[in-house]
Order: sequence, then structure tokens, then C-alpha cells
Amino acid sequence: MKQKIKNIINKLAAPDVSFADVRITITDYESIFFMNANLRDYSSSKGSVAIGIRVLIDGCFGFAGSKDLSDSNIEKLISKARANAIHGAKFQKEKLTFPSLPAITGEYEHKPEIDPFAMPKAEKLEYLQGLATSIKPAGKIVHSYTAAEFERQEKYYANSEGSFNHMIVTNTLPMMMVVASDGKHTQSRTWPGHMSAGRAGFELFYQQKFEDNAELIIKEATDLLTADVITEEKADIIIGAGHLALQLHESVGHATEADRIFGQEISYAGKTFVKPSMLGNFKYGSDILNIYSDSTDPKGMGYSPMDDEGVPGRRVDIIKNGILMDQQTSRHIAHKLGLEPSSNMKASFADDFPLVRMTNLCIAPGKGSLAELIASTERGYFLDFTKTWSIDDNRNNFQFTTEIGYKIRDGRIVGIVKEPTYFGITPEFWNACDAICGEEEWAYHSTFHCGKGEPGQVMRLSHGVAPARFRDVNVSVKM
Amino acid sequence: MNEQLKYLKSALDQHPELKYVLTFGEWQTDFLRFYQSQTNYNISKDSSSLNATLYKGKKSCSFNIDHPDTQKIDEALKTAVDMIDTMPEDPDFVDVEDDLTLAEPRQIVNNIEALGLDEKTRILGDLAKRAAKYDFELYGTFICNYQTTHLLNSKGLDKTSTQSPIYLEVKAVHKDSQVTVLETFGGDDFKYFDEAAFGKSLLTKVALAQNPVVDVDPGEYEVILAPRCVAEFAQYLSYGMRAGSVDSHNSFFEGKLDEQLFPPSFSLTDDPTDPQMIRLDYGDQGHIYRPLKLIENGYFRAFMCGQYFHHKLGLPKNGNTGECLKVDAGNAKLEDMIKSVKKGLYISSLHYMNFINARETSLTGLTRDGTFLIEDGKITKVVNNLRFTERISEIFANVIEFEETAHTIPFSDNYGEFSVNSSRAPHARIKDFNITSSTRTI
Repeated sequence: MKQKIKNIINKLAAPDVSFADVRITITDYESIFFMNANLRDYSSSKGSVAIGIRVLIDGCFGFAGSKDLSDSNIEKLISKARANAIHGAKFQKEKLTFPSLPAITGEYEHKPEIDPFAMPKAEKLEYLQGLATSIKPAGKIVHSYTAAEFERQEKYYANSEGSFNHMIVTNTLPMMMVVASDGKHTQSRTWPGHMSAGRAGFELFYQQKFEDNAELIIKEATDLLTADVITEEKADIIIGAGHLALQLHESVGHATEADRIFGQEISYAGKTFVKPSMLGNFKYGSDILNIYSDSTDPKGMGYSPMDDEGVPGRRVDIIKNGILMDQQTSRHIAHKLGLEPSSNMKASFADDFPLVRMTNLCIAPGKGSLAELIASTERGYFLDFTKTWSIDDNRNNFQFTTEIGYKIRDGRIVGIVKEPTYFGITPEFWNACDAICGEEEWAYHSTFHCGKGEPGQVMRLSHGVAPARFRDVNVSVKM
Repeated sequence: MNEQLKYLKSALDQHPELKYVLTFGEWQTDFLRFYQSQTNYNISKDSSSLNATLYKGKKSCSFNIDHPDTQKIDEALKTAVDMIDTMPEDPDFVDVEDDLTLAEPRQIVNNIEALGLDEKTRILGDLAKRAAKYDFELYGTFICNYQTTHLLNSKGLDKTSTQSPIYLEVKAVHKDSQVTVLETFGGDDFKYFDEAAFGKSLLTKVALAQNPVVDVDPGEYEVILAPRCVAEFAQYLSYGMRAGSVDSHNSFFEGKLDEQLFPPSFSLTDDPTDPQMIRLDYGDQGHIYRPLKLIENGYFRAFMCGQYFHHKLGLPKNGNTGECLKVDAGNAKLEDMIKSVKKGLYISSLHYMNFINARETSLTGLTRDGTFLIEDGKITKVVNNLRFTERISEIFANVIEFEETAHTIPFSDNYGEFSVNSSRAPHARIKDFNITSSTRTI
């Protein structure tokens, strides 16, 4: 495959081509879904191949992608990619700038502790059946599901500058959920929450203590049916790491994707309130807030020796001591902004066009445990497990509902509330952050399903976070 | 029949103990994405895949093969046959789809070939020049897909359907203020694209966007919802009309069949036959796709139900999937609807909606691409984008009137394989629409 991709790069060489790159991915995928303790779906695909060819001609990118890797089809893809660039250049006012980079080489293989594709299927199904049975409908529980997705992807990348990357990774997404009903109302609880994926194999089920938490989510979903709602207008809230990962994702991650500054995502995902003039001076958050993009950490799903346009993996401070310092960029956009490219151009599969994407976007840890943070909170709520999320197309106004809130009075949890909902404006919210837990609470929380781009792509990425506290947040939504 | 599909079918016919559902899909897109009135990127993309679900009694397993060949099929089939006995049973499975009815044949034009890149860029270039006079630039997508699906099963079902949807979305964005307005076209027949009318409508909206930008306070407003908003709210409402929602106890409509839930002016149909929409021949399991009245003069009439939930829940089977929703037009003229609003909002488009509680139809979302203040019956100002938190059932219960004309609204599905579908809806005037905060941005 290495030789094949290099041959394609050689074929793309032409006087009018100022840059070209080629990606090939080979993906194995398996999905298992139990509903109400019955297996509803087992599906798999093995060795799905995809190829994408991107060329820069006359300052315009053209792209062609396919799942057919035959030599004859590759010739067609080269022609299509070229034609798309040449035709696209006719509807262009400003030629795309793309400063060259030195050639680099990357090689990486991630080996999970328990390879989900190698372990016996019977063993895998038996474990998941047991888990599904432990949360099957009974009492107030009227619906449940248990799901697992496993993916192994081998990726080859080469470009006309001589860079080459080869990597193999395994990702796993485990999830379980119960729905409780009293006949009129329903409430749900998941484990371990919305960002449950990870760069790991089947061991993720054990690491995330699924079996230990089955009873807990059944009890909490049932208790939520009779729980109160938050009645205050404003409250101090502590956000658990799983949900904070999504808060970070939506209100910092997408907001600092610099393609949005130039409107390249207006037609679908949206814009950003961030302007180039804010770099280096905008107070995005409180002084304790440090947020970085780090594609050099192999523990996160955003790890890569180089991105999908040949930029070596980097750790970049996006927010330092509360000040907006940098952006997630492509080579072209970094040049427009006068920045170093941040190694954030990624395509989900080889036949997808690379876009500015989050990799491992993290909040640096602060100090102390979650128990200490709760103990130091006089009156407030500890919110976790995402239920609803929504943010405007400038990434400025967000509203989140979590599955459950734990009421804090005088430093102790004294009860629960249902569907706690908070909303705010991004910079005001992050400036209200007065405490972030320490390394002992810090972990990666990851997703398979970050949607962006047209045609749409869903990216695998991670957020390293620890629980954090936010003061005086709006928690009253009148409906 | 595709050779690989034929090969797999003949291999499976050697296994009389197995039932099966096979789908072979071929998909192509030509995708032009533009920003700042110029090309962002041009993409050509194609795929072919063979999907098989095998059943042995109440046990099943599925596999998918991209760009299949006989070697891949042999390997996948052997793995599946070897493992199916080890699978746990699904006691609710009864049988595969048995509706063998074929749709009327239709002539399908391949719009990727019919509508070339040069013609797309000409249309966009002309629009860009007109918008530039007002300091607006164009952002959006101009897409043609061509896709064929061949569905077979062990009951003898053998159906092929082809679609070639067109999707044009043009957002005009002011260079300085970032005020945005939207115009779209969607369908499978480009003859319905009226270039002059499209441009005129876009520029009319651009003219409205010259008004000053203001913020409004949270509260309940009388609003005029553009057809795109009505269609999107109807899509979210229809979530509870799926049999699967009843099964998971998340349906607002559970136990409400034939109850009047909305004003008599509200009727909603899942209609795959309208030539001004992107038509569908079959549901995803192969049941023929026919018009289905979901809400009739305010009464809830039917759940959308396929083979599985028909057996499990005892609901009538219709195979509908809610991909071709039509809200009936009413009697009002749009200008009269606006004139009748003393102080309210005109909302062009919605963004990032998500259920808070699906059973209660409560959700939150935002306005986008042109929110306007109406004062004394006239659009007077542009309003920053707003957040609403509402129950969709109440939005439709609060309908005062619908416009006399319904409009086709295309939607793109960006999760999974890129697809385009459409709805039809008129403008609607709604009372007490609950704005809960401002985004303070446009």
C-alpha cells in the first residue's frame, strides 16, 4: 500500500499542480446493540477501503474520493480531482495560499489491551448480554439499551512534498441507558455518559466500570421521576468531567476552529464569534483557564504523528491564563492569520475532504479532588451526564440539560434534581470558572460523533478534562 | 441485477435455513461548496456497498461490504453463517418484509450529468454579482447526488429505486454586519428551478437585511415562521409518530390516536409522490411508500410503522418513514399575516435543535439566517439570533393561521452517508412563541 500511494503521488505530478496529497484508509467496524436485553443488531464490516485524492491547481483545491482502489478507478479519480480544481478556480476571487513544509515521516501502531476484533465473539456477546440483562425493563424501568462500537483503522498518507504517514489505531465506544416511566413522564440515565468512547479496545468496558454502575442508573432514573427541578434563577454549578468535555467541545473547540472565522462552515455548522483581532488579548476565560490542542498524546483519539495535510503533530496553547492565544488551523488558514499551522486538518475516512478538526482538546488540570470541590461549595448543584445540548451558530449562546443534578448544601450532596438546565454566553461562562479539579480527576472523554463539513463527516476525537466549578450561572429556563 | 448482489443471493439460496435481507447501494455526489462568493472546494465522491442481514429463527447478524467482490462476499458470508448460531435471540423478530408491491416506474434523470459544474458556477456567479451590489457575499452548497438501491429478501421482495436529488443552498452574508439571509432549492427535477424567481427572492431578503440590528428581550412573541421552520418543527414532531418511539416510551402520541391535539387548520401528510419534492418509492425495508395522513384537521391519525413494530406493537403497517412530510397550506396571504402582527418576529430558519424530553416534545434551539422584528404589521429591523425553549406540540397548538401556499424545503442529512430529502410547508403565524435568551450575535 505504501508503494501504491507513492505511485499515485508520482502520477499527480504536473506543472500546474502546486500541491497534492493522497489518503488511503482500511477500516474494520463492528456494532452490537441490545434493546431491552434482546440482541437487536449485530453488524460488521471488514477491510473497508477508501481513497481520497486532493490537488491544488491555480489556487483551488479539487478532490475526488471513492471506495474503489483499482488502478482504472484511480486514473478516473485523478482526472476528477484535477477537473474539480480547474473548474473551481473559475469561480474564485482569491487564490488559496499554501506555504510549503519540509517532508516528514510518521509511523504508529496502537495496540489495545483487549483487541475487540481478536477476542472470541461468543465471549464478547456473553459479556454484553450479561450487561444488557442487568438493566432489562423491570419496575419503573420500561426501556433499556446496551451498545458497543469497535473500530480499527489503518491509514496511509502521502503528499507531493515527500511526507508519509502510516498509523493503525483501535477505538471503542461503549454505552448503556435506561428509561424510567411512571406512565406519564419519562426520565433516563446513561453510563458513562455522552463522551464514553476512547482509544482502547474491549478493556474500556472494565475501565469504565459498567457492571458496577448498572444498579446506580436504574435507581437514579427511577428517582428522577419524582425529583424536583431547580427553582433558583442563578446558581453555582460544578460540572462533571464527562459533560464538561461537551461544554468545552461546543463552546471552545468549535469556536476556535479558524475555518469558521472565514465563513467556510457558514452553510452548515456555522460561524464563530472569535475574530482574528482577539488573538493575544481576548479574555476568553478566568485566569485559571488553560486550554490546549494536543495531537501528540497517544492516549487520546486525536493523536497523530502528522495531520491530513502533512503538518507534524503539535501541542498548541489555545487559551493561556484565560487569554485567547491561538486557533486550530489548516496550512492555508494559518498563513492567512499569520500563525503556525496547528496540525488540526483531519478527514474522517480517506474519501472525505480534510477539514479543520479538533484532535485532543484539553483543559489543563487545576488542584484538588471532586470531593474537595463539592465540600468547598456552600450552595449549588453538581451536574453531569449530558441530556440535551444546543449552541448558536456563532458558538456564543449555549444551553445544556444534564440527565441529573445533585443538590449541594453546605458542602454536601443532599438530593437530586431532574433535567437541570443552564444557559449562558461563552466568554461570560468561562470567566465564571473559579476552580478546576486536579490531575487525579483528569481523564480523556471521547466521542465517535463530532459532525462537521459537507458532505458530512463524523470525527473521532478526545477531550482531557477534570470537573470544574462555575459561579452564578443562569439555571432557570421558563417554559 | 448487480453481479455481486446476484452472487450473494445465489450463495444464500443454498442455505434454506436462513432468511435474508440484502441491499446493494451505489451512490455518487458532485458537491460544490462556496464561501465569500468563490469556490471553497469541489468534491466528487462515489461508493458502492452490499449490506446483508441473515436470520436463522430469531437469531440474526448483519455485515456490510464496501465495493464488494466475490472473495469479500465469501469471507463475510462464511463468518456470518458460522457465528449466527451463537447469537442471542430477539424474541420480537417474526419475519422479513412481505409487501411485494412495486412502485410505478419513473424516469430518473442523472442530475450529476445534467447539471454540470460550469452551469452551477454560472448560476452562482450571476447571483454573486447581484448580491455584491448590496455588499453581500454568497456562502453555501450546490449539490447533485445520484443513487440507486436494490433491495432483495428471502420473501421474494426484489425492488430497485433510483434518486437524483439536487440541493442548492445560498446564504447571502453582509460583509460587515454578518447579517445573513437564506434561499434554497431542492427537488429531483431542475425544471422547477426558476432562476429569476430564486434571485428575486434572495435579493428581497437582502433588502430586508439592510435594516438596523437590534436585540429583543426574552418572552412570548407572536411569530411568523418561515416554511423551513414549520417543516423542521414538523419533522421533530413526527419523531413521536414513529412506532419505535412508542416502543421506547418516548412518544408524545402514545395513546392519542384519533384525538384532536391541534387546531383544525393543521394537517400533516407523509407524501412521497409529490413531483415538487424529492420522491421516494419504498421505505427502508422495501414496503411501498404511499401518502399517509398523520395529522388530519388537528386529529392524530397514524403511527409510521414497519414490519418489526407491526408485529411487536400491533400497529398497522405502512412502511412510512417521515422523509416526505407536507404541512397543508391554509388560506392566508403572507403579506396579510405580517400585517396582522402588532409586535412580533419573523423567523427564517432554525439551528441546533435538540429534545430536552422527547415524550413531552420539549426542546431548545435557535434562530438563524434572518430573524426580523415586526412592528405594526411591517418588518422594521434585523434581530440578533435568539434561543427558544418550547414544546413543539404547543407550537402547533398555537397556530393562528397558515399561508395559502406551501413551499418545498430541502434538507441535507450530514450524519452517515450524505443524503438529501425535502418537506413542503407554508408560512405559519403562531402565538406565544417562547424566546428564552438572546445570542447577542447575528
